[in-house]
Amino acid sequence: MLPSPDWESLALLGQIAVKSSTAVLLAAYGEIVAERSGVLNLGLEGMLLLGALAGFAVGAATGDPAAALGAAAGAGALGALAHGIFVLSLGAEQVLSGLALSLLGAGLTGVLGRDLLGAPGLVLPSVPLPVLADVPVLGPALCNQPVLTYLALLLGPLLWWALGRTRWGLLVRACGENASAAYASGVPVRLVRYGCTCFGGALAGLGGAFLSLSYTPGWKEGLSAGQGWIAIAMVVFAAWRPLRALWGGLFFGLLTALQFTWQAEGAQWLPLWVLRAAPYLLTLLVLALAQTSAALRRRSGPPADLGRFFRPGG
Amino acid sequence: MRLKRFSALSLVLLSLCLLAVGAPPAQAAAKKVRVAFVLLESINDQGWTTAHHDGIEYMKKQLGDKVEVSFTENALSPADAERVIRNYARQGYDLVFGTTFTHMEPMFKVAGEFPQVKFMHCSGFKTRPNMGTYMVRIEQGEYLAGYLAGLMGYRNVGTVATQPIPEVVRGINAFTLGLVRGLTESKTSFDAGKVNTIVWLKSWRDAVNETTLAEVLAAKKHDLIRQMADTADSSKAACMKGVAAVGYGTDAAKYGASCALTSTTFVWGPVYAGIVNRVIAGTWKNDELFTGFEGGGVGLAPFGKAVPKAVAGKVLALKARMAKGEDMSFAGPIADQAGVLRVKKGDKASDKELLSMRWFVKGVSGSLPE
Repeated sequence: MLPSPDWESLALLGQIAVKSSTAVLLAAYGEIVAERSGVLNLGLEGMLLLGALAGFAVGAATGDPAAALGAAAGAGALGALAHGIFVLSLGAEQVLSGLALSLLGAGLTGVLGRDLLGAPGLVLPSVPLPVLADVPVLGPALCNQPVLTYLALLLGPLLWWALGRTRWGLLVRACGENASAAYASGVPVRLVRYGCTCFGGALAGLGGAFLSLSYTPGWKEGLSAGQGWIAIAMVVFAAWRPLRALWGGLFFGLLTALQFTWQAEGAQWLPLWVLRAAPYLLTLLVLALAQTSAALRRRSGPPADLGRFFRPGG
Repeated sequence: MRLKRFSALSLVLLSLCLLAVGAPPAQAAAKKVRVAFVLLESINDQGWTTAHHDGIEYMKKQLGDKVEVSFTENALSPADAERVIRNYARQGYDLVFGTTFTHMEPMFKVAGEFPQVKFMHCSGFKTRPNMGTYMVRIEQGEYLAGYLAGLMGYRNVGTVATQPIPEVVRGINAFTLGLVRGLTESKTSFDAGKVNTIVWLKSWRDAVNETTLAEVLAAKKHDLIRQMADTADSSKAACMKGVAAVGYGTDAAKYGASCALTSTTFVWGPVYAGIVNRVIAGTWKNDELFTGFEGGGVGLAPFGKAVPKAVAGKVLALKARMAKGEDMSFAGPIADQAGVLRVKKGDKASDKELLSMRWFVKGVSGSLPE
């Protein structure tokens, strides 16, 4: 199946697969946490862009990676907070508010970023891990990447543990599955949901910063080019589970990497549009399959209270 | 009484009408030519629209207070463009420019509704008595850039191509023809069927994928990355990987690709100044303008540090010949990828062939996606 299975090609394939899944992974993790708490946020694309611009702007101004990443996370969280105020406090329709956030992010960054187009700025390069980076194939793929990619790789298992194995995770899941019951047993549902939404926004912001500081350093209008939407598809594809999102994200990344390496080798194993449409087609397939039986739906369906407005005592 | 009032009213109305009719000629004496531009993206886009904006600035400088210029950015969709074009026509602009291919249909439509307004459309093929077209022969610059790369011995170029339309195909072909000429002159051995590998972005700009494609090409041992997207990201990625690059549209070195040997550039200034001057002089026609180095419509960005003096001299000598009107960018014999002779020795590809080109010359590796 692989074009030319020599070590070097495989290493390149792996490296690009992992790198091109980073922003999607970070955004998808954030969305998983938000949705598990019951808040649907379709504003990922907007938050990616807010993070990308804020990270780039602060990085260019200060040259400080920590400040740049902090600004990116802050900008994403701020966008998510706005969504939270609308849907959690004002009871707005979650789908509409999320879409509005996406549009707002695209428009706002387009205007605010005008003077930064083409400006030089901070670059967060790949950081090879000593020894490990020299392991054939896996080394370049997993151990010679920018810092945010390491974060994306580590967050999968971390969130799996946190959501499934800790008290904190239980609170989050309780809010998403049955908000009234959680509230009755003393969980501050709205507060938890605000926290999870903002956490999701911060991760999406970091995903954006990865694009503007590491992947293709510099600010461009619409830089994320639909990666936020792929991340939303990824959440469904992964059935709201962080570890499955990690595998899914890497798999989507592999599809992306394949279309590039095949083109560069002049090989046409599949039409390019098949590879490009694959993430969406696979997501639809998973959605359809999950509907085939009640058991499957329970195991891989959305949190029961996802998208429902909760008014304490109401 | 009633009649009196009626006649008084008519008198007032009549004088108002006279005023209205009389006013325009009085203004026309001191009137500036009002020119409007409909632009594809932001004037800071570092690529296509920045080049047009540079051209507008040049034209304003040349014509000073003889013109009044307006422009609208981000007219991407035909529907947006139509609204903007019609607004300018309604506001009484004398000349409206549409600066990208997708403006063709809306402009053609609006031009039919406003016969007194002049329209000029960039890179299209539809005209009306009051609508002309203009484009520059970017392929001349491509040929020279390829020649330069060939003289320097780059024989395994990777091109990050954008959309599979004739303008891009023509550019790839001219670059490859120049490359083969340079390689032959520099006596570099090369694979005649594969000196330029094409990968498709299927977009005019897509920073993430431009970067990835360039990195893949560099990793696959291509020795030079040919950027064709609007922005310099593939050139920048090449520089980061220590591979040479050639930019497109605007000077890639200005936007962070310091390793660029040169960039082929659109130079719209002289084109715009010429068109507006003809409107001022009353000699404007619905021409189909297609100018290269001889009309100052294209350029080569300053050469990078890596370019040897001797190579620069040869390229500039060829450029000087082009500026005198000698265009060898598509001079025969030219064979296509299958080896079929498409342009005979002594012939040149006609403008019609150039504007509808859908085949690659020998030396190009890759195919046109459907």
